[in-house]
Amino acid sequence: MKLISIAAMAFAFSITAPISMADQTPQDVSATAQTMVTAKVNGMVCDFCARAVTKVFGKEDAVDNVHVDLDSGEIHVTLKSGAELSDDRVAELVKKSGYDLVSVERETA
Amino acid sequence: MKRIQHAGLALAIGGAISIPWAEARPVSYPGGWTVMQKNNGDFSSVHAHWSPTAKDSIGLYSERNWQTDWHFTGVQYNRLVKRWNTPNSQANLYLKAGAGQADPFGDDAKTEAAGFIGVGADWETRRWFVSYEGRAYDLGFTKDARQSARIGVAPYLGDYGDLHTWLMLEVQNRPEADTPTVVTPLVRFFYDVQLFEIGYTPETEELLLNWIVRF
Repeated sequence: MKLISIAAMAFAFSITAPISMADQTPQDVSATAQTMVTAKVNGMVCDFCARAVTKVFGKEDAVDNVHVDLDSGEIHVTLKSGAELSDDRVAELVKKSGYDLVSVERETA
Repeated sequence: MKRIQHAGLALAIGGAISIPWAEARPVSYPGGWTVMQKNNGDFSSVHAHWSPTAKDSIGLYSERNWQTDWHFTGVQYNRLVKRWNTPNSQANLYLKAGAGQADPFGDDAKTEAAGFIGVGADWETRRWFVSYEGRAYDLGFTKDARQSARIGVAPYLGDYGDLHTWLMLEVQNRPEADTPTVVTPLVRFFYDVQLFEIGYTPETEELLLNWIVRF
């Protein structure tokens, strides 16, 4: 009797687990979607400038990663899953770093 | 002996430094620390500061002047008065002030209240660099002043994290010095948070060694 119960539970799990995972998959994909914020900035000409920006943005809870491109004068900020960083906040952080924001673009992957 | 003194001070203070460039840009980012050291034969100095904002910094400054025999130690405040940011350049205007104590060399040296004020300006692109710095000291027992200017060019452009190299020419004027005006060609290496400079002044046959770290 015990053996039958275990077999029944195993069978039930084997057919429900994929269904439940299938149900969760879209939600997980949505939850792991990351937003990339690209801020065009004036005045960023050296590594100390880039470091200032990296430090200031890196302290934000919403920020996962910061990359500075001196050639294009752009800051590429990857946000944590589900996190938000408003344009106003981006402007504040750029100003706090000592530079001037020109534009902000967003891309969600 | 003088060179030994230079080396001794440089080692004793472990290297913090301020080149005129660094002095001209003495403010970092909120919460950032910077240690700067300069040795150019004329004087050796250390400036360690902390920036509460991107427009202010406060720290300690110590300078030993080999030319006119005095030593200053005190607190220094730096203020970014104005910054001009453009797509390809940055320019800055700074004011600086220090207060502390100074003494002339010697066994009977008497310490006196002392201070200084200074102004710094720079303009920089990724290819070109120009700066100026002037400061005046009141040391109680004497007064002193100096000014310096720089021009530099980067032979290649590196991105963030690369090794950056600059070729520079510095002109320093100090009326009280034995040789009031000297010209120093130098090379700057800039990697990660470290900046190192080495140069040579033919008029005085002195070596210039500067180092900065920001964290």
